[in-house]
Amino acid sequence: MKVIGTQIPVLLVGLLALAGPALAHSPICNCYDNGDGTVTCEGGFSDGASAEGVAMRIVDDSDRVLTVGEMDADSTYTFDRPDDEFHVVFDAGMSHIVTIFSGDIE
Amino acid sequence: MRRRNTIVREAAAAFAATATAFLFTPALAHFQMLYTPETALASGQATQLLMLFTHPAHGGPNMAMGTPEALYLISQRGDAAEPVTTDLQEYLEPIAWHSENGPVDAFEASLPRNLTRSLGDYVFVLEPSPYCEPQEDKYIQQFTKMIMNIAGVPGNWAEPVGLPAEILPLDKPYANWTGGVFRGIVVADGEPVPYAELEIEYINHAPDLAQRRFASGAEVDYPQDSFGTLSIRANAQGEFTIGLPRAGWWGICALEIGADTEHEGKPLSQDAVLWIQVKDMQ
Repeated sequence: MKVIGTQIPVLLVGLLALAGPALAHSPICNCYDNGDGTVTCEGGFSDGASAEGVAMRIVDDSDRVLTVGEMDADSTYTFDRPDDEFHVVFDAGMSHIVTIFSGDIE
Repeated sequence: MRRRNTIVREAAAAFAATATAFLFTPALAHFQMLYTPETALASGQATQLLMLFTHPAHGGPNMAMGTPEALYLISQRGDAAEPVTTDLQEYLEPIAWHSENGPVDAFEASLPRNLTRSLGDYVFVLEPSPYCEPQEDKYIQQFTKMIMNIAGVPGNWAEPVGLPAEILPLDKPYANWTGGVFRGIVVADGEPVPYAELEIEYINHAPDLAQRRFASGAEVDYPQDSFGTLSIRANAQGEFTIGLPRAGWWGICALEIGADTEHEGKPLSQDAVLWIQVKDMQ
């Protein structure tokens, strides 16, 4: 009984630690056309945290992944603009995904 | 003797006229405006700035501005990023702002999208040249900040710029609900100013950037003159809190806190101005 009594609080703290960040901030990503055939996306979080290392995917209308990469130390990711319609996926993990469609990238 | 009586009568008449003017002229606070229509944007776009020296609670009278000594922005995307300073003086354009007292000299700046398209905070700073106030026979120089944000990624909104006179926000100036409060600290050269005198005014006549004039109709009527310019004091640590009873723009000005107190042989008041935008919950 004593062992169980110790384990439950530890488990709860662990769950809270895992769930806390997801509730505390929102993922944010914006992309703009550089006018030279490339697009730059910038990422961040509503608490000001860096987006460095966040996975980026460029996906076509058939859900085929065209390009994969990640946000750099400056929380930016630049890629060649595909000729056809596409969308950008900023994937910071569960509940932290932002999708931007090519029609919204100016 | 006749001459003496004439002088006395003239002096009495002048005194009466002056006293009447003081009795019936509303207390007006000078405010250096540094205005853009929207400070909480979903995405970056070209930015239009208006710089006008005015009395926003009454939509004037407006005063002629000299060429600003400096106009720049300090932007930062996220907590970890380094702030970037961009000089904006090349974008300054003199304009005539239409007023009841005739056109007055003001300035605009049309910033291209690439300057304000990134996520994060944009701290706009205007360091005007001292304005000679003839009625008080002194100069006024109001160091003015206005803070814009793109998409909700915070940055340097709370960071000091290092101005001679400055208001440091303790709440985001671009994210305020009607009915909330706004807090700040008054500093001069980075040091808190105990019991600083503050004036607060609401932009009571909407600025029309296209027509370069204020709307003729007022948003609110003041029940008494004390309500146009709200006067408060900071506490012993230079901190203050104000209520935000209405959506729109509120200007906060800390008076005579800068170290320089003289300009071209006259007294100089170095003030700090901060603008905040308030929105209704809908």
